[in-house]
Amino acid sequence: MLRAFRFIIELFTERHGVVAFAFFLVLGILMREAPTAVRESIVSSALSTVFYPVQLFASSINDFKSLQAENDHLKEENARLRQETYHASEGLQELARLHTLVRFDDKWDFPIVTARVVGHNPGRFLTTLVINRGTHHGVKDNMPVFSMNGLVGKISKAMMTHSRVQLLTDPNLKLSVLERRTRVVGFLESMDGRLLSALIPSHAGVAEGDTLITSGLGGIFPKGIPVGTVHKVRKADLDVMSLMDVEPFQEFSTLEELFVMQKEPEWIIQELLNE
Amino acid sequence: MNNYKWFMTLLLFVVVFVLQTTVSEWLQILGIGPDFVVIFIVSVAIRFGPATGCFWGFLAGFTQDVYAPVEWLGANTIAMTIVGFAVGLLEERFLTLNLPAKIGVLGLAFFVNDMFYFLITGLEKDVVTNLFITRTLPEFAYTMIIGGIAFYLSSGKKTNV
Repeated sequence: MLRAFRFIIELFTERHGVVAFAFFLVLGILMREAPTAVRESIVSSALSTVFYPVQLFASSINDFKSLQAENDHLKEENARLRQETYHASEGLQELARLHTLVRFDDKWDFPIVTARVVGHNPGRFLTTLVINRGTHHGVKDNMPVFSMNGLVGKISKAMMTHSRVQLLTDPNLKLSVLERRTRVVGFLESMDGRLLSALIPSHAGVAEGDTLITSGLGGIFPKGIPVGTVHKVRKADLDVMSLMDVEPFQEFSTLEELFVMQKEPEWIIQELLNE
Repeated sequence: MNNYKWFMTLLLFVVVFVLQTTVSEWLQILGIGPDFVVIFIVSVAIRFGPATGCFWGFLAGFTQDVYAPVEWLGANTIAMTIVGFAVGLLEERFLTLNLPAKIGVLGLAFFVNDMFYFLITGLEKDVVTNLFITRTLPEFAYTMIIGGIAFYLSSGKKTNV
């Protein structure tokens, strides 16, 4: 047994590691060429068994640290509150946040699940987040995800205790948007995994600073969630269309908590997605 | 590579990914940040050779792929495996690399990694050109600076010991 193990190790390390290289390269190519369902299964298995537990552990340490910090802060605040007659600014901020959440909830009439971000891309292109809510908490695939500031993306895969969020910067996520002032409908996507751009008819006169919201078309996102502002208007390949750089309302790299709207895609969209 | 070195490299691997998701964001200038993962792969490959280089390249690339769009699964894995192996082989051919040569290899590895990544993901030519100018070039320079400091500090530590 030991001899066989040593043989495999030597096979991999001798001859400048060519065998090891060929092995890992073939493994990589097989993953690349695998059908989408297999790829999804590889990613979900790796995430559930290795990466999520590690990230959850790291995140718990952070939580513990922040809990300690919060404790110190509260002690200081307590001392200060004894001398002050006004409300603590912390409490007012909390109230403002809750008001915003209530407005979100009333407007769309869908239950909302609050989630915490426990992990994101270690790479240079931020396209995915992992949150600590899954099917166990009522989260399902393709549910819209947003923050206090605006739309974040949608659930790409819900697992039992956690879910993967596909951000707006993912080149594979495309959505229909509406410009608030002109009411013209356009199309938002990220071509490079970094910047958001919208394709909107030129005749509408959409200008820099205009606001984009979800149009409700497409069946996944409800109408009216703020997406971002037009940062720059450029000429598209087609004269009738304008290509616009969009500044999202939410900075994705700083997200800590977000909300999942328990809205399932309309049945026709669900049928198409299942296909 | 003995058990202790495996353990230390694994620990470094975890630390590097923590740095990439935290410190790298703090160090960003106009949205441009260093790539600690490439620095790690190059360091490991230079130190332990091509077999170990491509193993850690595979692992690091796969870790990044898990959080990338599913449609791109394998792109980082293949690119980083190639980089780990190539850098290890380069070190083996030239025996010992001095500090400027190490920084040069790091820059080359960064380019090779990005080129393979763009090629494998099949992004459009215009998008790749734009990414190359706005991301690859500035991040290449930034990563070389941070990598140079890391290489200098680690070589200084060895000399003192």
